[in-house]
Amino acid sequence: MILRGSLAIWRRDMLVLRRSILSELVAVVAYPLTIYLAFGIGMKGYIGLVDGVPYALFIAPGLITMTAVNAAYNESVWSLWFHRRVQFTIESYRVTPISVSEIVIAKILSGFSHGLIKGLVVGLVIFAITPFRFPSENLVAYLAFLVPGSALFSCAGVICGTVMDKPETIGKVEAVFVMPLIFMSGLFFPLSSYPAAVIPWVRALPTTALFEGARQALVAGDLPYAFLGQVMVTALLVFIAAVWIFRWKLSE
Amino acid sequence: MSTQLHSSSAITIRSLSKHYGGLAALDDFSLEVERGSIFGLLGPNGAGKTTLIRILTTLMRQSSGEVRVEGLDPRTHGREIRSLIGVVSQENSLDRYLTARENLELHARLHGMDAGRYRRRIDDLMELMGLSGRQHDLPESYSGGMQRRLVIVRALLHEPRLLFLDEPTTGLDPQSRRAVWEYISSIAGSMTIFLTTHYLEEAEHLCDRIAIMDHGRLIALGSSQELKDKLTGGTVYQIEFNDQVGRYAGLLGGMACVREMQVSGQTVCVGLESWECLSEVVTALNGASVRRISLKERTLEDVFMDLTGKGVRE
Ligand SMILES: Nc1ncnc2c1ncn2[C@@H]1O[C@H](COP(=O)(O)OP(=O)(O)OP(=O)(O)O)[C@@H](O)[C@H]1O
Ligand SMILES: [Mg+2]
Repeated sequence: MILRGSLAIWRRDMLVLRRSILSELVAVVAYPLTIYLAFGIGMKGYIGLVDGVPYALFIAPGLITMTAVNAAYNESVWSLWFHRRVQFTIESYRVTPISVSEIVIAKILSGFSHGLIKGLVVGLVIFAITPFRFPSENLVAYLAFLVPGSALFSCAGVICGTVMDKPETIGKVEAVFVMPLIFMSGLFFPLSSYPAAVIPWVRALPTTALFEGARQALVAGDLPYAFLGQVMVTALLVFIAAVWIFRWKLSE
Repeated sequence: MSTQLHSSSAITIRSLSKHYGGLAALDDFSLEVERGSIFGLLGPNGAGKTTLIRILTTLMRQSSGEVRVEGLDPRTHGREIRSLIGVVSQENSLDRYLTARENLELHARLHGMDAGRYRRRIDDLMELMGLSGRQHDLPESYSGGMQRRLVIVRALLHEPRLLFLDEPTTGLDPQSRRAVWEYISSIAGSMTIFLTTHYLEEAEHLCDRIAIMDHGRLIALGSSQELKDKLTGGTVYQIEFNDQVGRYAGLLGGMACVREMQVSGQTVCVGLESWECLSEVVTALNGASVRRISLKERTLEDVFMDLTGKGVRE
């Protein structure tokens, strides 16, 4: 029964999501779709094949992954900040007989759910407007990346929403760390475009493992174990850190 | 020590201290709260009331000292304590994205109540608080008084043994305040109630016992009558003269049984050691042209001001 509290709070978050799902989805789909249309289709004639596939196909997995991890991160960071600093709901949870770990696990689950749902919706929209079709093994392999990837970013969001008390800081961290990390990880161009000296460093990033691995999974149907292991281990470590940091912050 | 602490009191606090950096928010604070009573904690801004409630409700750990809530130590039995207490915090902590009823349902689930039980309980409490008709509205559409009542309903949902209310009526108009008072009085007896307030009238109206604190220390404790008696040290009379105020003020000021004296215009206020001194005073004033002598009732407010000083707090 340890997760009774987590379940109750997660259900609350899903109820709120359900109420606003349509307007949220419009906003969530608009951004990757614009990029997709502008780069994938608008620039098609200029770019041609990248790594042996049409550019639109090259960027599609990354755009879906980006949507999912962004949604997971954003939900977690803002929800944590809002419920802690503005609405004091976390405090109202803390005077009930559930543990602090149950609260943070609920918030991680909610961010993860947001990421997965929004990522999948963007995926459906992109597939609907392109001629590319994938075998179901590819989709399963892709999900094997999307799931720990969303969890990883949800945990990272929980950490940021826990330690940052000011909304400006949250905005800055997103602009300076999160977006560059996503864009530099092989979303729009292959890693081979980097100077040789930089490649090992970029490869070491968990985001690279996520974006590269997810693309290989969806486009080629591979399951690159090294990348998958890297994403999963990082997600696990960040999860442990998130729980620990949240407990530490609340015990001040 | 631990055997002593397991008394029949709802709350036992021994030499409690809490420091924020160099600031002592609670300083060697001790208190007992009897089961089934309504206990009021009064103090100006920054006195340490919320800090004390946060420690009692397991939200925060003390720097030193011992606390027992229903015989349990918040540091080791947090979960057990939290299942026994209801908390109305100083800030409004309602979820503005959930309806009133959904707010209550979430809280009930966090307390592990099953749906059959909490549905009935919510219906009953909402009815009692006059909120039934608005249960499917968002709390933002409620008035301040209604929101406060909703938070109280939430705190009572799981039938706590001990209810903490941190400034339950701050920011409410007099009518809403009365409504909250009435409700608190109506549930009194079935549980222990521990409330903090800035309003002396509130403490006087509701509480069996009152503690006054400032700068993290307990400075007075008793029923409202006891506090008034003990702290005014007897009685204050107002003597209004027709003339020669200065001369008689000097005379009164020199008397042994006059503890304190204030002169304003034609009126002299004298605080006497005891009411028996009055005859001495009357004798001394023989021949003076006295317009009126009246007994001045000291309010709890006077007591409070005497004890905590008149300066406004940061
Ligand atoms: N988290 C904190 N960090 C540092 N100082 C704090 C913190 N919380 C409270 N204080 C300080 O501790 C003292 C007691 O604060 P507390 O909130 O307990 O007072 P209070 O009696 O509830 O006041 P009020 O009537 O304004 O609610 C104050 O001086 C306050 O500034
Ligand atoms: Mg306070």
